[in-house]
Amino acid sequence: MNLKDISTSVPKKDHSGKVSGQLAYISDVKVENMVYGVLVRSPIAYGKIKSIQLPNFPEGYEAVGAEQIPGPNVVKIIQEDQPIFANEWVNYIGEPILMLVGKELDILYRLLNEVKIEFDELQAIYTLDDAIQQKSAPGVTMASYEFGENLDVISTIEQGAHKIIEEEYSTGYQEHVYLEPQGMLGIYKDDEIVVQGSMQCLYYIKNALISALACGDDEVRVVQSPTGGGFGGKEEFPSMMACHVAVAANAVKKSVMLVFDRSEDMVVTTKRHPAKIKYRTAIDEEGNILSMCVDVFLDGGANAGLSSVVLQRALLNSAGVYKIPHFHAKGYVLKTNTVPNGAFRGFGAPQSFAGIESHIGHISKLSKLDPLDYKRKYLVKQGDPTITKGQFRDPILMEDMIEDLLNASDFKSKKGEFQRFNQQNLRYKKGIGTSLFLHGCGFTGSGERDHIKATVKLVKSRDDKVLLKISNSDMGQGIYTTLSKIVAQALDLPFDRVLYPDPDTKEVPDSGPTVASRTTMIVGKLLERAAKKLKAQWQPGVEQEVVENYVHREMIPWDEKTFTGDAYPAYSWGVNIVEVEVDTLTGNVKLEKVYANYEVGKVIDDRIMKGQIDGGLAQGLAYGYLEKMTSKEGRIQQKSISDYGPPTSMDVVSIESKVFDNPYADGPYGAKGAGELTLIGGAPAVQAAIEDALQTSFQQIPITPEVIIESL
Amino acid sequence: MAEKITAYRFDRLDQTLSQLNKENCSIIAGGTDVMVLHKSRRGVPPKIPNPVIFIDHLSELKRVYQNQKDLHIGACCTYSELLEDPLIPLPLKNAIKTIAAPAIRNRGTLGGNICNASPAGDTLPLLYVYNAKLLLRSVNGDRVVAISDFIQGVRRVGRQHNEILVEIILPSVLEEGSHVVFEKVGNRNADAIAKVGFAGLIRVNDSRVEDVRFAFGAVGPTMVRSVDIEKKLLGKPIPLADSDVAEVVAAFDKIIRPIDDQRSTAIYRKKVALNLLRYFLSSKQYQPN
Ligand SMILES: Cc1cc2nc3c(=O)[nH]c(=O)nc-3n(C[C@H](O)[C@H](O)[C@H](O)COP(=O)(O)OP(=O)(O)OC[C@H]3O[C@@H](n4cnc5c(N)ncnc54)[C@H](O)[C@@H]3O)c2cc1C
Repeated sequence: MNLKDISTSVPKKDHSGKVSGQLAYISDVKVENMVYGVLVRSPIAYGKIKSIQLPNFPEGYEAVGAEQIPGPNVVKIIQEDQPIFANEWVNYIGEPILMLVGKELDILYRLLNEVKIEFDELQAIYTLDDAIQQKSAPGVTMASYEFGENLDVISTIEQGAHKIIEEEYSTGYQEHVYLEPQGMLGIYKDDEIVVQGSMQCLYYIKNALISALACGDDEVRVVQSPTGGGFGGKEEFPSMMACHVAVAANAVKKSVMLVFDRSEDMVVTTKRHPAKIKYRTAIDEEGNILSMCVDVFLDGGANAGLSSVVLQRALLNSAGVYKIPHFHAKGYVLKTNTVPNGAFRGFGAPQSFAGIESHIGHISKLSKLDPLDYKRKYLVKQGDPTITKGQFRDPILMEDMIEDLLNASDFKSKKGEFQRFNQQNLRYKKGIGTSLFLHGCGFTGSGERDHIKATVKLVKSRDDKVLLKISNSDMGQGIYTTLSKIVAQALDLPFDRVLYPDPDTKEVPDSGPTVASRTTMIVGKLLERAAKKLKAQWQPGVEQEVVENYVHREMIPWDEKTFTGDAYPAYSWGVNIVEVEVDTLTGNVKLEKVYANYEVGKVIDDRIMKGQIDGGLAQGLAYGYLEKMTSKEGRIQQKSISDYGPPTSMDVVSIESKVFDNPYADGPYGAKGAGELTLIGGAPAVQAAIEDALQTSFQQIPITPEVIIESL
Repeated sequence: MAEKITAYRFDRLDQTLSQLNKENCSIIAGGTDVMVLHKSRRGVPPKIPNPVIFIDHLSELKRVYQNQKDLHIGACCTYSELLEDPLIPLPLKNAIKTIAAPAIRNRGTLGGNICNASPAGDTLPLLYVYNAKLLLRSVNGDRVVAISDFIQGVRRVGRQHNEILVEIILPSVLEEGSHVVFEKVGNRNADAIAKVGFAGLIRVNDSRVEDVRFAFGAVGPTMVRSVDIEKKLLGKPIPLADSDVAEVVAAFDKIIRPIDDQRSTAIYRKKVALNLLRYFLSSKQYQPN
């Protein structure tokens, strides 16, 4: 491959299988000696199991539970608080207690109803507000961090301030709605258990299985099957399902398939953490910010999972893209007896950006200043410190991106035009809003160096094809294509001579999980280096292999205890402008125009990037006004896609976007991360636009029609 | 093992009716409600209690024709077919366009929407304000009932088990001069179940109200319509006086009693229903459509 510009699009590697419908997803797979598994789940939110009474099982049907786990009864993630099968305490409605296995689903569903479990039910914590009240009770705070300016200093500043502005902002659940619900197959073999399914992180699963099965490295194997969307929902959650099918397969000596239907998936899988964020900002007479304190509370749900890391990212983004004098932040993950919350595209950042963009917007309005002018005054510049005493080392193009988007959207004249429209139209009101945002690429802090330690391998076959041997998943985002392209370009090899087979831990080293906008930047760079190495030692007709290991970029070392240092090696940036029309009779919001500029270093494939932009923005915009999920006494209320309401093609308008070049030395061909960035600006921009239309302020997302009607 | 079910698919309506007379069957037109209603969990086929009888292909049930100023619509016309038909009034087409998405509109039928009797059935508010009449047929003959008598509650209709809904009759709908609106309020623009539905019809003669009707969907067990309230406006001058509008809104405020559910709140539903009514009544003039 010899593209003049690497960004030039090529057909996706998995295109034909997907558009023809031929590609087999996990629920299409059948293997010999296969049975199904269904999960007996807790019907109560918090309590102790007193007794379990099983029905008489027909032949070939049995129950698998905690006793059948060879290793410890925990899903290995970070903390050891998540049982594979709850056998003593249950902490949320839907928590798995047992798995019933057998040949016919119909019979399994009947048996499910016949399992009788007695509980001692205890008072549960159902809401984040309750958890905040009880935050110092034992076990409620699952993680917390604090950093920034000394509080005595802030208190002195506040005493001399003209005004203190306090706001409390809340964000709701978000559900991933990947097209393919979760599914996992445990294949029983004499000498190994193979777990195959829809996933983002092969080695997370493998490590969880080694722990659960108490077995050797070569006795389990994890294979990714085609994955129909992830968005973080298939980051840590599949580890639990993998433990379920592997333990069951090991116990019954058959292969076990566990697939959720949509409603089970919506009710029991992880969601985006609902958050409450408190701001306390001191300003002077001209409206200048003197100091700011931010408190972030995340609803962790019943298990810690990845919540502490999500909180870290939420806190790291708590000042948005601004340089705020005398900034202080603290944050908590609190336990509630609700479905555990987990990874979701943006990973804590969308909550923080929605909050800070809203707050800064409100401060500017209080001071009668134009929100965008005000935001630009505080925009960070190259060389500025981050809120954790790290540094923005690379050039920042935000000013150019903003100017360009103001022109593209005709922002200034729109403002006037909308004001006139709103005066005349009694029913419909138009508004326009902006958001400014960034995303730190890769793992937070020193995660890449200390925990992940990625390794990639390239194998050249005798017929001079090159195979990518890495553990990263293509879940629709397109890495089969982009990573193959990076290798093909570096080797100057035709694209179709570079192959990227479905990852299988027996074949691939641990190149890390497919998360955190790290794959292109980190794994892509390793592959580029590996490919260059291979090129230098290329021998036609000979089998060859090269391996590359992660090298850390020298920065200000990250210290998790003091929460200081460079939290990320690099940042990607974005600006969104959104126009809406609000129906004041119904509160319905119609998107009219969406404009977006991004900077992701260098785009590896234009069309794939456009996919990330359109999909990420749709998801981010919807997070702000459309998608609504609620929990009532520990029970998720929206069990179908139509009740939850993610946007359809009738709700999203075509998005005018542009991506700026700003090559980054430690990314392949200059690329940084792009996958999460595109979601982050949607909600704050849509909020600003709705506020502009209605000339009011909101302290929450999603701003649903119900919220709007109540405000009018 | 898949269970066996009995299914009938006769070539003609009379054969279908005679089978229905012998045996209680689950009628399937498009099946877009039936299949969802009897859906099982993943991997298990739907469980339909009775033998199934298909009627979606019966040509007797798929005709659309004009009889003087009345419009007759075959019960098994699909939404997609109705959207193509020049006789179907524009407001009804607009309502149909808010239903589901093209795939479901290719299967779903007007008769199915009526017989399913969901509080959120999107064609129902309009059919109520059109004073739709339903032609039911059995081996014993035909009978015609008003839609508001036929639909009795949530998923409850006054159909004998041997009857089929053959036609929906919209009396005088092809007469010119009425202004008709339909509004669906859903959480998104496709594949959404209504949170509130509103249909209004008004005919003005000599700047006075000659006829006026409204119906609300998704705010009660069935469509909310009140002929008594409508009567209060007959003969009133257009534009309506604020006090006239307020009186009608207040009267509906008393009889609309929506619920909270996973899709919305009672407060929202009521407020929006009344907003839409007030807006409809506050128009300065009404263009016939
Ligand atoms: C994804 C999806 C989205 C949907 N969106 C909407 C929406 O936006 N708005 C909306 O209103 N509905 C919606 N529906 C519901 C459904 O599509 C409509 O109610 C449709 O009109 C039903 O028609 P059908 O022919 O499929 O009915 P069927 O399912 O075939 O029948 C429905 C009921 O009516 C009976 N029946 C049908 N025809 C006759 C007849 N001629 N005589 C006697 N009894 C009969 C059946 O026995 C059954 O009880 C949706 C459904 C799905 C699956």
